[in-house]
Amino acid sequence: MTMVAEKITIEPVTRIEGHAKVTIHMGDDGKVKHAYFHVNEFRGFEKFCEGRMVFEMPYITPRICGICPVSHHLAAAKAGDIVMGCPPPRPASLLRELMHMGQIVQSHGMHFFELAGPDLLLGFDADPAVRNVLGLASVNPELAVSAVGLRKWGQTIISILGGKRIHPNFAVPGGVNKALNAADRDAMLKDIDASIATIQTGIDVMRGWAEANMEDINKFAVFQTGYFGLISPDNGLELYDGDIRLIVNSGAQMERFSAQNYLDIIAEHTEDWSYLKFPYYKNLGWPKGVYRVGPLGRLNIADKVGTPLASVEFKRFKSLNNGRPVENTLYYHYARMIECLFAAERVRELLEDPDIMSTDILNTRMDIQGEGVGVIEAPRGTLLHHYKTDGTGKLEKVNLIVSTGHNNWAMSEAVDSVAKTYIQGPKVTEGMLNRVEAAIRAYDPCLSCSTHAVGQMPMVVDVYDPEGNITQTVSRGL
Amino acid sequence: MSKPKISSDWMCGCAGCHMSLLDMDERILQVAELADIRATPITDLKEPDEGGVDVGVLEGGINNTANEEVAHRMRKRCKILVSLGDCAVFGGVPAMRNFLPLEESLRRAYVEAESNDSECKIPSDPELATMTKVRAIHEVVPVDVFVPGCPPDPDVIFYVLSELAQGRKPELTGDLLHWH
Amino acid sequence: MVNVTIDGKSIQIAEGTTVLRAAEQAGVNIPVLCDHPHLVPFGGCRLCVVDVEGMRTLQPACSLPVSNNMVVHTNTEKVLAARKFVLTLIFSDRNHFCPYCQVSGGDCELQNAALDLGMTHWEYQPNWKPYPVDASHPYLVLDHNRCILCRRCVRACSELVGNSTLGVEERGASSMLVCDVGVPFGESSCISCGTCSQVCPTGAIIDRRSAYQGLDKKVTRTASICVGCSVGCGIEVLTRDNRLVRILGRWDAPVNEGIVCKQGRFLPLDEERARIATPLVKKDGKQVAASWDEALQVAAAGLTPLVGKNGSGVAAVTSDRLTVESLAAFKKLFKDGFHSDMVTTLGDGEGVAVAADVAAELGAFSGSLESLASADCVVVMGVDLTAEEQVVGFMVKRILQSKTALVVIDSEENGLAPFSHVMIKMAAGAEKATLEAVQKALKDGSAADEEVKHAAALISKATHPVFVYGKRLNSAALKTAVELAKSVNGSLVGSLTGANSLAAAQLGLGKTFKLNGHQAVFVALGDDTPSQQFVQSVEKAPFLVVQASHVSRLTAVADVVLPVEMWAETSGHYLNLEGRLQESVAALKPAGEVISSLEALKALAAKVGLSADADWQAEITAKTSPVQLTLA
Ligand code: SF4
Ligand code: SF4
Ligand code: SF4
Ligand code: SF4
Repeated sequence: MTMVAEKITIEPVTRIEGHAKVTIHMGDDGKVKHAYFHVNEFRGFEKFCEGRMVFEMPYITPRICGICPVSHHLAAAKAGDIVMGCPPPRPASLLRELMHMGQIVQSHGMHFFELAGPDLLLGFDADPAVRNVLGLASVNPELAVSAVGLRKWGQTIISILGGKRIHPNFAVPGGVNKALNAADRDAMLKDIDASIATIQTGIDVMRGWAEANMEDINKFAVFQTGYFGLISPDNGLELYDGDIRLIVNSGAQMERFSAQNYLDIIAEHTEDWSYLKFPYYKNLGWPKGVYRVGPLGRLNIADKVGTPLASVEFKRFKSLNNGRPVENTLYYHYARMIECLFAAERVRELLEDPDIMSTDILNTRMDIQGEGVGVIEAPRGTLLHHYKTDGTGKLEKVNLIVSTGHNNWAMSEAVDSVAKTYIQGPKVTEGMLNRVEAAIRAYDPCLSCSTHAVGQMPMVVDVYDPEGNITQTVSRGL
Repeated sequence: MSKPKISSDWMCGCAGCHMSLLDMDERILQVAELADIRATPITDLKEPDEGGVDVGVLEGGINNTANEEVAHRMRKRCKILVSLGDCAVFGGVPAMRNFLPLEESLRRAYVEAESNDSECKIPSDPELATMTKVRAIHEVVPVDVFVPGCPPDPDVIFYVLSELAQGRKPELTGDLLHWH
Repeated sequence: MVNVTIDGKSIQIAEGTTVLRAAEQAGVNIPVLCDHPHLVPFGGCRLCVVDVEGMRTLQPACSLPVSNNMVVHTNTEKVLAARKFVLTLIFSDRNHFCPYCQVSGGDCELQNAALDLGMTHWEYQPNWKPYPVDASHPYLVLDHNRCILCRRCVRACSELVGNSTLGVEERGASSMLVCDVGVPFGESSCISCGTCSQVCPTGAIIDRRSAYQGLDKKVTRTASICVGCSVGCGIEVLTRDNRLVRILGRWDAPVNEGIVCKQGRFLPLDEERARIATPLVKKDGKQVAASWDEALQVAAAGLTPLVGKNGSGVAAVTSDRLTVESLAAFKKLFKDGFHSDMVTTLGDGEGVAVAADVAAELGAFSGSLESLASADCVVVMGVDLTAEEQVVGFMVKRILQSKTALVVIDSEENGLAPFSHVMIKMAAGAEKATLEAVQKALKDGSAADEEVKHAAALISKATHPVFVYGKRLNSAALKTAVELAKSVNGSLVGSLTGANSLAAAQLGLGKTFKLNGHQAVFVALGDDTPSQQFVQSVEKAPFLVVQASHVSRLTAVADVVLPVEMWAETSGHYLNLEGRLQESVAALKPAGEVISSLEALKALAAKVGLSADADWQAEITAKTSPVQLTLA
């Protein structure tokens, strides 16, 4: 009699607001029946923020995620602008966007070079001892050094504006609390060319890798979903502010709406096996209405990109599927670097704006409205903060839809699809685990980049027989 | 003499403390020269050392059964346990959850939230860890070195790790001691 | 004098001094939380404990008086352990989440104390009982989670402001800070002076407007004075990137010693009027932007023909909130240059003009606010100190607790009436008669009116009565008041309305404005808001030039608008109600083409070929003032 694994547990896979794990349920035929992506963490920010002041939210909510705290910082401030009825003056919006671009660069850059890079440059099946950024450093030390420099540049933009790199002190309802001076602007401009060059190298790496690995790209978690994200008034790529555009997999626009009305357009579904909810497009219902966000989603909904270098690359991207949405999960990495380039170019545009050093950075005329939605494109996708307050600005209700949430279905589906594609029978190998992990990592769920910043995720896979006895353990890390 | 071994992990935090560790930038290499950086979320992970490590660093408080295990395992395997960041040291922002019965927080998120559809319910799969009160690490296992800050400044982390790597106990004073 | 040794340093110090103050003099720092140099010691937090040789237990330095040959140690192991324990208990009592607290990182005295002691963590966790956040107040948020019950706010509100809104209610094992009898802050008797937020050592009382605007370390501090009224309180203006962040009362200011009112602390931050950035001239009935030269040219073209035309010339009106320098230049230009017969201040100058008249006859009669400190009876006449010169109102209210009698004499509703022992309400115009009745009652004890009789009794009992007079007394009534005060050896304090009303009066700018036959009007408005009535009275003038910082109904109808600085952008001198010459110091730089009122006046003078150069010091001392001037 052959042993049939009943259930495989991979823990911890990654940490979205903490830990996550994957369980793989085997069928009697020895094939994967279903693989589940469990988000194992619940913290309750929505409830415990009730009773706090709306102006405290840009300082409380970044503690949801230390990897993209700027997104929460700004989404909270933007919700605060509306709740308090104090639209920020133009220079304040420019400065917020500047900080946000710093974050996009550092987060995307770190994700690509330090997290995905080893996989892309060294291959999924390379020896785990070298398949990490240190291995990358030995293969291409120059690139590794400039990758560190890229992240540092992004973090420097954040800390110049907000006093510190992580959990900065900058945005407040109505604007920001610090203006930009000439010395600070020059400090930001100083490394911009080197940073753009690093990003372009990354794009070359990505293109070379794609050519060599077409098979993986086309086999690996390709599926049809809608796409969702902010869009500029002329349908260009937008990361800071604007309407939300929702398209279906044919590329047809289904909705274009203000985030204030998000409840009319999307809803959330729960599954018993995950603490992370599943947003979907209401008109199509669950699960037909699932969509993807983040770099791939944003480039799929955009008709153009507003900066010169990124625009050239964007045209190449669009030709991948003849102008239709690109559906391959692994192209997230490509889209991410195009956005990274856009963000770096946008930094220059912002720094050259005549208003950027204005001291008109705060609107103090408050007129409390009591409700508002703040939206921003976090590195990983659309982030929504919805607040209701009493007449004094004290919070009564808080609803947060985090970027990783929108991709929850896609990640779960990717895990399932990869498990089914690559795991045959109870014998689990290192390479299979890497692909399961890579499926999740492509979506860059919060915390995963740090999990894997210079190395790889710890994993233990126990393979159980039907009686519940461990027959095999594949492990690494811990 | 072999270099002291350092290992780290995180629990109920935001990863910000580990990000701050990364923000040491090139100084991380100096630390790597002084110490053998073992299983941490930011270096290559090897098999756990049979004999444990010299320094264990934990980020985040403890808010569920899975984190309890992490804390106990680290305590068992390290000689000096470091609580890194306000969440680890005090409970931090996530500890605001302790004001409310857990059930209320879960209901808000999975039943009452404006965006939930009518079928939403509180997840209860046995695969999911069981939530507990949010606790500082020293409420669960003894801690040797406390490094507050949200997150601790990279300078602070560098100082603490290089002192420990050289067998000294770090004394946080002046600019190195902050709680925010 | 006694001999005390603190941490090895021996000093001589007056008997009765507390160990804490003695240590300060010896240059030894003892941490405190509940203590505040301007409040009566409370001895509640025990952070200031010290080791005194010969005493078995540690003693709180804030309330222990020194004795001869006392030897004190402030830094022993035992002391440090006790301090840590005190803080540990405080942190476990309520809920402190420093990561997002507004004051964390430098502005929290509690956190600073813990960091100074090298505290890296808390031994005990709180019991996670949430406390309410009271956000009902328009300017302040009271977060009980961070309150350490040090009672600084309670003491400040009663000892300094005399308002006693805040108190501590014992609730079984735990105490709670309460407003009045337990009403929401916003519905309480609070008058929004903000003193409580200034003394609170933690983030428990947050000033909403400045929350997260930048910590103490990040702001620029400018010591200046408030130009909201004639008290001229010393303030500290906190700015960042040329933006107003916060205003604090200056503890070292002799006039107000730390306290300010809502007008000084919060209203300047509520500024909602639009600024004027460039000169404007009317072309074809529409105002268009112009260069300074162009605008001055147009102004000069309209005004120059009116030089020397008196009643049919130019009428000039100024705000009494401009600097003395500007007022003197204004006077020089229009009185001496244009020879105008209508050179005056906006509306409210009458009160001080009356005082000036009386001074011309009787000499200086008014005195300094210091007299209130020792007053055992205060008579407030013709002014509502809860609406004007509010800090004087605080000074009156805070001494009521020490058995000072309060008499209010007014023809209108008066906010101090509820606090008074006697309120004499009479018809407008009956002030003189009423005061005479009081005087008569003082002499022979007789009065038709019970209130008058009662008031006289209170005044005659007092050893140091103080009479506060205001704008609703005409000169006859004020003269009577001065005689009345003299007859009982009392002092007088005047409420002189505008920040520089006294200076304006000294310059003779005290007429009541009337347009009459004037062919043009020049208004040096500064950052004042003109009344509807004033706008109506000048809008028919054939030619109107307005010098102003903000857009208003008046600037909207002007032929020429000259953009000038607002208070926080201008440096210059002010004469307060005590005759004290003080300097307002610019804390902000103006944007656009804005210049100071003084510069604008001089530029206009040059254009019309006249002079605006005046020796202001000589001018303001040229005639007798109602109050002795101290110009040094
Ligand atoms: S202490 Fe602050 S930075 Fe560290 S994990 Fe907690 S919230 Fe994140
Ligand atoms: S009041 Fe002070 S100790 Fe309390 S949370 Fe705020 S900063 Fe921390
Ligand atoms: S603002 Fe002034 S009156 Fe109001 S409670 Fe505070 S100290 Fe008292
Ligand atoms: S509110 Fe502030 S000043 Fe008042 S008792 Fe509490 S901590 Fe002290």
